[in-house]
Amino acid sequence: MTALCLALWGIVLLGSSLSGRLDLLLRGVFHPLVGFSGVVLLVLAGAQLKGAWGQGLRPGAPRGWWLGAAVALLVLAIPPNPSFSDLATNRPTELGQEEALNFLLPPAQRSLTDWVRLLRSQPDPSLYEGDPVRISGFVWPQKGDQPQLARLLVRCCLADATPVGLPVRWPPGQVPKADRWLAVRGTMAVEEHDGQKRSVVVAERIAAIPRPRRPLEP
Amino acid sequence: MSAGALGLAGDDACNRRSCLAWLATAWAIFQGLLVEALPFLLIGVAIASLARWLAPGGRWMQKLPRHPVLGPLTGAALGFALPACECGNVPVARRLLAGGAPLGTALGFLFAAPVLNPIVLASTWVAFPNQAWLLAARPGGALLLSLLLASVLRLLPETALLDPALLEERRLNQPLAEVGLLERRTGLVGPATPKALPDKTPRPPLQEVLQHGSREFLDLAVLLVLGCAIAATVQTLLPRSWLLAVGGAPTLSVLSLMLLAVVVSVCSSVDAFLALGFAAQITPGALFAFLVLGPVVDLKLLGLLRVLLRPKAIALTSAAAAVAVLVLGQWINLLLL
Repeated sequence: MTALCLALWGIVLLGSSLSGRLDLLLRGVFHPLVGFSGVVLLVLAGAQLKGAWGQGLRPGAPRGWWLGAAVALLVLAIPPNPSFSDLATNRPTELGQEEALNFLLPPAQRSLTDWVRLLRSQPDPSLYEGDPVRISGFVWPQKGDQPQLARLLVRCCLADATPVGLPVRWPPGQVPKADRWLAVRGTMAVEEHDGQKRSVVVAERIAAIPRPRRPLEP
Repeated sequence: MSAGALGLAGDDACNRRSCLAWLATAWAIFQGLLVEALPFLLIGVAIASLARWLAPGGRWMQKLPRHPVLGPLTGAALGFALPACECGNVPVARRLLAGGAPLGTALGFLFAAPVLNPIVLASTWVAFPNQAWLLAARPGGALLLSLLLASVLRLLPETALLDPALLEERRLNQPLAEVGLLERRTGLVGPATPKALPDKTPRPPLQEVLQHGSREFLDLAVLLVLGCAIAATVQTLLPRSWLLAVGGAPTLSVLSLMLLAVVVSVCSSVDAFLALGFAAQITPGALFAFLVLGPVVDLKLLGLLRVLLRPKAIALTSAAAAVAVLVLGQWINLLLL
């Protein structure tokens, strides 16, 4: 039973690493550690199996191990499929101090995250009026406002995901559903919101896209 | 692009959060926490097993300092040699107490080592690389808390403090100069007999160490699963406005994060990553309270502590730790807010 449980946890870690599931759960810097831990657990399981072979059957395993094994099987069977908009709504939107911009890309090459960081470091909306915008992200509903296009930033795993979003002026009658992944082309404009000027993306071309292979950004 | 392809929202559909979406999000957070924490757990168990193999316990335990301050400090420093999270520390602390180690030293190890060890300090640094005050305050707070708890618990006689089975084992390994004859139910009568026990415990076979480490990992993995399940549920269901409202109030935020640390019961080697999710919403004192109280008192630990302490002593530990962390958290808020 020891070998079986170790092997299950090893398969969970190594399988998550090889299948690309980690891209949805963890920041890339941790991926090699997870894969290596899976290999270590599998080797350990092999060593336990070899040791147990000569000793015959041992008394039953603690009840908790069965629970652990069942959870490991569930993790293998049910891949993660989070609602990004739910996650974003339950999170603070503050960015850390380390998010200061080092250099600026041309407007059409900026990602959604680049735009948000730029707007936070230089918040004068008139600086960007008329700039071309090509961004992608998921639809994040806002209370009392139109949905934003957003991304999730992580420093470790989904538990610390922080949303960054851009206001979008959607074409009339085309407000998209929460969680849809879209590619938006348009221009940056200025609008009044709650008595303050803000930058808004005027969407001109909208295309539905599949969720990116690496949806979390550092 | 057609409206269908974009999944255009109806008025109601856009605001409705389905139960299934909540479950899916909680499940993903659970997997994220678990998959991230398991390697750290494995590293902790591996280093603890290596330490067990290289330096098996023995008579050295009785030679540890008995000084009321130096003893707990030495115990806390042992965390660097025997790094493990709080679950892994309990069996080691029991071994120290059973082997006749001074009470203050063993308690110092029990309460401080879950934070003062390389794995936990490294994970705290990885999670909060830009918060230098926390990298100093967490180990400092843990050290202070362990000194306080060791001092408070030493006020109780050992018979009121330690679990009866452990106490009996401990009496056998204490010299007669320290323990009255009537306090022992078994053992040797007469002067100390150095030849009765081997001077050096033989190194256990590697296979035995691997088996022990494997069992330890699987035991702790189950507790980690439960902790991650609670944490993922709380994170998914807790309304953002509730945390934000609490986060702004200095005292209430410290109290709420203390409560969260006790309920969530996540191992000290990964709690810093969990705290990342709250860090931006709460006061610095509350963050400190979460990271210092959790490794000493939490729901998961209460069962494990029963192998060491009597229920009254566990209650005293919990109360003293809660008061001390609340005061320290408030002090940090006064300094940093």
